[in-house]
Amino acid sequence: MKITILNGDLETKNSDFSDYIENLVKQFQVNNNIVDVFHLKKMELSYCHGCWNCWWKNPGLCSTKDDAEIIFKSYINSDFVLFASPLYVGFTSSSLKKISDRLIVLLHPYIEIRNKESHHTKRYKNYPDFGLLIKEENDTDKEDIQILNDIYDRFAINFHCKKRYLKSVNFNTVKEIVNASCNI
Amino acid sequence: MQVVIFNGSPRRKKSNTKLLINSFLSGYKKVIDTKVPVYYIASLNKKEELLYAYKNAKTVIIFFPLYTDMMPGIVKEFFEDISKIKNSERKKIAFVVQSGFPEAYQSIFVEKYLEKLAKRLKLDYIGTIIKGGVEGIKLMPSWMTKELFTNFSSLGEYFAKNNEFDEEINSKLRKPYKMSKIKRNLFSIISKTGLTNFYWNGNLKRNKAYEKRHNHPYAQKWSH
Ligand SMILES: Cc1cc2nc3c(=O)[nH]c(=O)nc-3n(C[C@H](O)[C@H](O)[C@H](O)COP(=O)(O)O)c2cc1C
Repeated sequence: MKITILNGDLETKNSDFSDYIENLVKQFQVNNNIVDVFHLKKMELSYCHGCWNCWWKNPGLCSTKDDAEIIFKSYINSDFVLFASPLYVGFTSSSLKKISDRLIVLLHPYIEIRNKESHHTKRYKNYPDFGLLIKEENDTDKEDIQILNDIYDRFAINFHCKKRYLKSVNFNTVKEIVNASCNI
Repeated sequence: MQVVIFNGSPRRKKSNTKLLINSFLSGYKKVIDTKVPVYYIASLNKKEELLYAYKNAKTVIIFFPLYTDMMPGIVKEFFEDISKIKNSERKKIAFVVQSGFPEAYQSIFVEKYLEKLAKRLKLDYIGTIIKGGVEGIKLMPSWMTKELFTNFSSLGEYFAKNNEFDEEINSKLRKPYKMSKIKRNLFSIISKTGLTNFYWNGNLKRNKAYEKRHNHPYAQKWSH
């Protein structure tokens, strides 16, 4: 399988979370997967400016020229994506949210009714399913997990795919993440 | 400082959010004749100034567009920043979420997050206004947007009087909550005529990009 990992850790050095991700990458590779891993905070990545150039000027292409292009390519050509981030004030990091916004380039502006709601149609034939890997905060509670599940389920509807799981580095081993990701 | 408004749109001065804030303030000013400061969260080079304004405000209203079912990344960053600020006294916070899709339902999940955020940051939560169908308001003739702007003006007027949102207007703005079966059927009929894509096609043609509309440049060759 080809796997893309988007690591939203805002800490760029000495981080347990990123160490965990590193171990996870190794474990994926041992199992013969091809892994692209991006530590977003270490890259040059702007936020989405909402210019719609990707929808009506250069269809399918983002006009903001930075490191995002390799992420778009990796994402859309993967079999599975892992959104990985410690929680900050109850949600995945701003780095991860910024790149998630920019994934809109992968959709079509046209609108259809799906799930009885308005949504954008596909630009690509296939979109990868994803998993969500978090690190809880001290005050994370059931309500926060519910909110995360809901929002990422919405993301899955928008991005023509399925959310396979939400897991946490606090409770799940690297092995468990690998199994959950590769058991299709 | 009393009330401070933050505009969370990445489009800043060209945003739909700005138009809604202007209407809100026109009503607000009918009651309280002071200038309410408006800050742009996307002005990242003014971060210090923004955080200072936040720290000193008694009431904060944050307006933002829905981005992939949540607040935009820059607004998330703002939340991370303000979570590090120690509030000297209790502060009130309110939100206005506006979106492209018409259904208010699309924004009720971020609403739950916002309510929880206020609790987490120990702020008094005033509430959240939700308004769908806002993309394109700049191109609409004034008769189409009149009601929207009037509602936002009334919202501002009520807010100036009560430091709260008018629940009646809030529920009015939340319509449609979901697409009714009739609307959905109508949509599928109209979409066969291409009319539902009118806004996008018009812009694609204007930019001479219509022929390229289905491009998928990031796919590897063998996958398509
Ligand atoms: C990256 C991006 C993501 C968006 N995601 C959503 C969405 O999930 N649901 C929705 O209804 N509208 C979505 N929109 C549409 C905006 O919410 C809508 O166009 C809004 O009116 C923009 O306001 P502004 O001009 O103040 O930025 C999105 C727009 C952009 C650019």
